[in-house]
Amino acid sequence: MTGEPWGPSADGLDQPYWDGLTRGELRLQRCGKCETWIWGPQWVCGSCHTLDPNWESVTPTGTVYSWSRSWYPFITELADRVPYVTVLVELPEAGHRRVLGILTGDDTDAIRIGDPVVGHIEHDEGATWPLLRWRRSTEGAQA
Amino acid sequence: MSALTMRGAAAVVGVSELHYRRGEAPAGELRMTLEAILAACSDAGISPRELDGFVSYAGGGHDGAVIGGALGVDDVRWSNMMWGGGGGTVAAAINNAAVAIAAGQAECVVVYRSMAQADTGRLGYAKYHYGPHFLAHGVGSPAQVCALRTQRLLEHDGVPRETMRALVLAAYRHAQNNPTAQGYGKPLDEATYESSRLITEPFHLYDCSRESDGAVALVLVSADRAKSLRPDPAYVLAGAQGAPGGYSSIIDNDDQYATAGFAGATGRPGVADRLWAAAGLGPDDVDVVQVYENFSGPAVAALIDHGLAPSGPAAGEVLTVDNLTAGVGKLPVNTSGGNIADSFVNGMGLAVEAVRQIRGTSTNPVAHAKTSLFIGGPMAPLVSSTLFAHEDVL
Repeated sequence: MTGEPWGPSADGLDQPYWDGLTRGELRLQRCGKCETWIWGPQWVCGSCHTLDPNWESVTPTGTVYSWSRSWYPFITELADRVPYVTVLVELPEAGHRRVLGILTGDDTDAIRIGDPVVGHIEHDEGATWPLLRWRRSTEGAQA
Repeated sequence: MSALTMRGAAAVVGVSELHYRRGEAPAGELRMTLEAILAACSDAGISPRELDGFVSYAGGGHDGAVIGGALGVDDVRWSNMMWGGGGGTVAAAINNAAVAIAAGQAECVVVYRSMAQADTGRLGYAKYHYGPHFLAHGVGSPAQVCALRTQRLLEHDGVPRETMRALVLAAYRHAQNNPTAQGYGKPLDEATYESSRLITEPFHLYDCSRESDGAVALVLVSADRAKSLRPDPAYVLAGAQGAPGGYSSIIDNDDQYATAGFAGATGRPGVADRLWAAAGLGPDDVDVVQVYENFSGPAVAALIDHGLAPSGPAAGEVLTVDNLTAGVGKLPVNTSGGNIADSFVNGMGLAVEAVRQIRGTSTNPVAHAKTSLFIGGPMAPLVSSTLFAHEDVL
């Protein structure tokens, strides 16, 4: 898979995010002045209005805020994956900011809001950019 | 200009809607737009030459200069495209026309939208409408973005999934009385709904809007002029647009995530609150509702946002098939069949049906309807509503 419709924006705003994935890190923005976590990528902190937020590495551990299982191949490049589950994951370590990702593993059927998940970075064969994906976590799972 | 300046200052006096099965339009978008505008002017009893304001939404290149030039109008005084996602701004476009008239910027404003698959493809599969931080994770359609929010509404807030089904079945029930509805002659039952294929959970096929080719136009004039033109103008009693800052525009990090965008941030009035305040009315005063169903779940959320149904499990007590059916229930919704069972020209046909209810010309008329609410595209980054009213309410 080459020429996928994702990767750094032409204006360079989110280049550190993609560079982080290449280095095996999830990076999100955080204001250097008021320390507010920011996502999606922005040129300015919406809290104190300082320009050019920093990028910080975040441990990809969180809980499912919502999810949807896609059956229709809306994205041609992912047609061979349907049905797949996209999770929206809340990250306590990053000010409860939420990030998206595809859920992998053999136990995606029973996914529920509130489930703990752990992120990992996958580099699909032939793809230009690695991506953040999620697995259900057995540690600390809620009863 | 206070909200009161706008209250009842303008009225819809002409409407037209043309729709065809998707891909089967007899003409392109520009010609259909002109045809719909001519028909709306005829319905209003005015000359197209009198049009001096032009408002549309959701894109398209047919601005006031193009349309005004084609129609040989005397003057173009107002030409606006509403910013915002897709059908979210459909009611805002009508509100914008009313604002122009109330503020004296224009006298005769047409609001219009046209869609032909041959010209602009299909909205539902608007490929790469979303940016890389959605696409990389398999989200590339409004259906998926709305599905994620709806799943939270159902699973976390406890709104029963059956409310979505009730909205869809009521729409199909209405369509059986509307010969021009695409769902006419095709009644839908619970079993067929439940067994239809999954698109993106929690949406089945029938939870998703149709897409039609066609064009819709509404002509608005001042209240004084409206009275001279016809006995049954649909007054714009109130309108509101917007969303809490950041809603649906910061990659799913907004606080009002499981709302449709009409609810306010904590402690602040939202779009629905502003609508009711400007109207001097509340949800209990509404006789009939047309709510844009891009998908059933966002429409349910929009009804909750407007206070027409409670949130949580109690929503299931109000949002039943019977209660949503004209002539049967207290909250008749989408009385032409709506985007799901009638037709979908970016949701603008719903505005025409809202006007028909004030005129008493709906195929599912709500007896003595004096207030008719039109709710634009829910879960878009910017949403909007218009409350139409009979002269008696002014």
